Amino acid sequence: MNQHVKNVTAETTDLSRRSFLVGTAATGLVLGYAGVPGVSEALAAPSNFEPSVWYSISPEGLVTVTCGKADMGQHIASTMAQIVCEELGAKWSDMRVQLASNDPKFNDPVLGAQITGGSWSTMMNFDAMSRAGAAGRIALTEAAAAAMGLPPFYKDELVVRDSVISHPKSKKQMTFADIVKSGKATKTFTADDLKAIKLKTPDQYTMIGVSVPQLDIPSKTNGTAKYGIDVMLPGMAYGKVVTPPVRFGATVKSVDDSDAKKVPGFIKAVIVDDKTQTTSGWVVAVANTYAQARKAADALKIAYDGGPNAKLSSQSLLDEAKRLQGLDDSGQYFVKDGDPNAAFGSAAKVLEAEYTTNINIHAPMEPMNATAEFKGDILHIYSGNQFATRSGAIAAGAAGIDPKFVVMHQMWLGGGFGRRLDADMMVPAVQAAKAVGKPVKVIYSRENDMTMDFSRPLTYQKVKAGVDGDGKIAAISHDVVSAWPTARWGIPDFLTPSVDQKGPLDSFTVNGSDFFYTVPNHYVRAIKNEMAHNATPSGQLRSVAPGWTFWAVESMIDEIAAATGKDPAQLRISLLDGAGKNDGGAQRLRNTLLAAMGLAGYGTKKLPKGEGMGVACVSSQERATASWTACVAHVAVAPSGAVTVKKLTVATDVGTQVHPDNIRAQVEGAALWGLSLALYEKATLKDGGIEQTNFDSYTPLRMSQMPEVAVAVIANGEKATGVGEPAVTVVAPAIGNAIFNASGARVRALPITAEAVKANMKA
Amino acid sequence: MPTLTINGRSMSVDAAHDTPLLWAIREQLQMTGTKFGCGAGLCGACTVHVNGEAVRSCQTMVGDVAGKKITTIEGLSAKGDHPLQKAWIAEQVPQCGYCQSGQIMQAAALLSKNSNPTKEEVVAHMDGNLCRCMTYSRIQKAIMRAASEMRTASASGNERRPT
Repeated sequence: MNQHVKNVTAETTDLSRRSFLVGTAATGLVLGYAGVPGVSEALAAPSNFEPSVWYSISPEGLVTVTCGKADMGQHIASTMAQIVCEELGAKWSDMRVQLASNDPKFNDPVLGAQITGGSWSTMMNFDAMSRAGAAGRIALTEAAAAAMGLPPFYKDELVVRDSVISHPKSKKQMTFADIVKSGKATKTFTADDLKAIKLKTPDQYTMIGVSVPQLDIPSKTNGTAKYGIDVMLPGMAYGKVVTPPVRFGATVKSVDDSDAKKVPGFIKAVIVDDKTQTTSGWVVAVANTYAQARKAADALKIAYDGGPNAKLSSQSLLDEAKRLQGLDDSGQYFVKDGDPNAAFGSAAKVLEAEYTTNINIHAPMEPMNATAEFKGDILHIYSGNQFATRSGAIAAGAAGIDPKFVVMHQMWLGGGFGRRLDADMMVPAVQAAKAVGKPVKVIYSRENDMTMDFSRPLTYQKVKAGVDGDGKIAAISHDVVSAWPTARWGIPDFLTPSVDQKGPLDSFTVNGSDFFYTVPNHYVRAIKNEMAHNATPSGQLRSVAPGWTFWAVESMIDEIAAATGKDPAQLRISLLDGAGKNDGGAQRLRNTLLAAMGLAGYGTKKLPKGEGMGVACVSSQERATASWTACVAHVAVAPSGAVTVKKLTVATDVGTQVHPDNIRAQVEGAALWGLSLALYEKATLKDGGIEQTNFDSYTPLRMSQMPEVAVAVIANGEKATGVGEPAVTVVAPAIGNAIFNASGARVRALPITAEAVKANMKA
Repeated sequence: MPTLTINGRSMSVDAAHDTPLLWAIREQLQMTGTKFGCGAGLCGACTVHVNGEAVRSCQTMVGDVAGKKITTIEGLSAKGDHPLQKAWIAEQVPQCGYCQSGQIMQAAALLSKNSNPTKEEVVAHMDGNLCRCMTYSRIQKAIMRAASEMRTASASGNERRPT
């Protein structure tokens, strides 16, 4: 029996009440928190121990850190190992990582669930991983002192470095391996002991801040890294999903498999009965090989009822959004400071603008897949997934069993970007495995993957700004209309109470609009577009709401600057005065803006005709977990409206750098995502279905489209922030503002097209 | 049953002649370093070499490559130490890593013919390979580093050494 219990609702694992155990098990030294199911049992019965606690040290001295986070290219497993390594005093080449199962003992210590997103991992795990590393060092040091025959007060004379504990005075030393083999390193830390551990100060760091070689990279250069799609189980069959022409709401009327039966290797067509309502109208063609499953899928003749969304298009969703925005009683308030409506009445100037973004598709390079195997009471799922806690529950729902009987085997993720927070792939895999009585690996075709994406929703925003007689921004009211990606999960803890007490709202549609600018009268209304919510079930796409809210806010700030004759960067600096609730954050954001301006040479040179620079600065992601990022975009605009991005300069304040090179890689990747979303990626809905099916019609940035990207990382000693997402959100408005400065054309719709630029140029 | 000459070994695969090479490699031969990305020759994740040329294995049928010399990422070098693989580690290129086998195989075909490519030649040669993590600048740097190493190695290989 496994011990997976109660893993549907996010619960806080309160480490403040738990002891940390260091003990000897059959496989070496194990270290983890007590009171979390599994750890104390493991220590009590070492022969049954699975090395799946936070970390373990083998008799050979190898330190294996178990990562409860999904690693989708952000190298978070390696980062977790680096944080442990710093305090433990191990040698980097002794460090190893493994990926955790969905056992609650690997839940995030802050979030109380296994979920990876929000650029949260480093900031929320830094302290706990540091203390775990330090506790291990203390236990090893005490054991070494005893073994060396030193009295306890000589402990402070021991030096721990590169997995060796040495006592320079007596010239004695022991390796971690020696100590583990001695079996003497056993210690329990109470919660108070743990809290009392004095962690290293930054001047003592030897690992944090060093760009050590990422532990996962060699396996990603020789084909040995195993992703979900690479899982092979004995006796396994393969499934190809057949998805309906409508994104959501269709049902299968009939399946004719007479032609599929002629395909060699065909096993069965399984109609998915999805009680979790994650999918609708799906069929799985199961065969001995995937190539056969694809052929069989093509041979199935399926009749559908298109359902209630079968006539909808992007235009219908946009029209509905505009209708909802026009109603006074729509939505709920996310921000309600002062009284913008009164302020508009006395304003010297009022500006109004609509900003839109189209549907965007995650399209990670590894298409969605999952492998399901029923073994006795237990359902085993093999899949790279960002939200094991919920995905396990969805798999259980698809199987009709209790979630405690589901074991999720984590794999490397061939891209996540938020797509693998969703669990749709579990459903066909589980039901196919159940129907054919053998393990089944379901792999989406690229066409399935694109047309059934939990996409970034189509958004419509209306921003109204009032400027007083002195040219100061007196009021902003901001309406955000979209599908609600997080509300779809049905987990109340992920929703936010509205300030007007009209019930919870999905803050993952409005985050970012609660900016750090000082604006005395400020409303933000979150309006759910129910039609879009039903027709295009949306998801979390890298950076989520700040990807559209800052498009609106940062474009409007420039529009105000233009209307009042101010330099847009100087206007931002004046708004970032750090008054009241903005104290701290505003100043940090101002500093990143200044850094980006300096690095880009903003305002220092006259640009040729048709070229311009634009700025934007963002506090992505949530206000409570903000990072500080600014961008200067340098563009050239041709008379045809065609835009060439010459350079993106991005500055980001990360507080503390764990791995400087990785931060640069993440920020550059995120900035190029921002560029791709700004200029190249657009999906559209027609007759209820997503029209783009592959990389010929949905076209992420390619190498030839890459501009020069300059990144400045500010490490000012504050706590480590997340870096995987914020740079996505800052790029589109910086480009839009640069286009205006280059050509006079104000664009308000993403992606930006040459036609829109040309149409908005002043004649 | 078609027989494939792959990474220097001759192996028969239980697959129809019109089976894409990609799936025969991955499933029949259980070499999973070659990746499925789009199934339409649009992304390059499945790139392998056939007689030294980079091809998309999702668009290449098993029946068409019998008797030809196929190389996958697993066979590019004996110990994962092709100059490109070393350069990929030195430049810390991969993020998620999923497209990188295809990127490396695509780049290897370029360097086998042109060990001194310009940046423009690299971009033109690599533009069919998508990287959703957008590691493009590091891919470029790694290709240039590997090219430089290959030139140095071949120059020193030509030197006369005292015996």
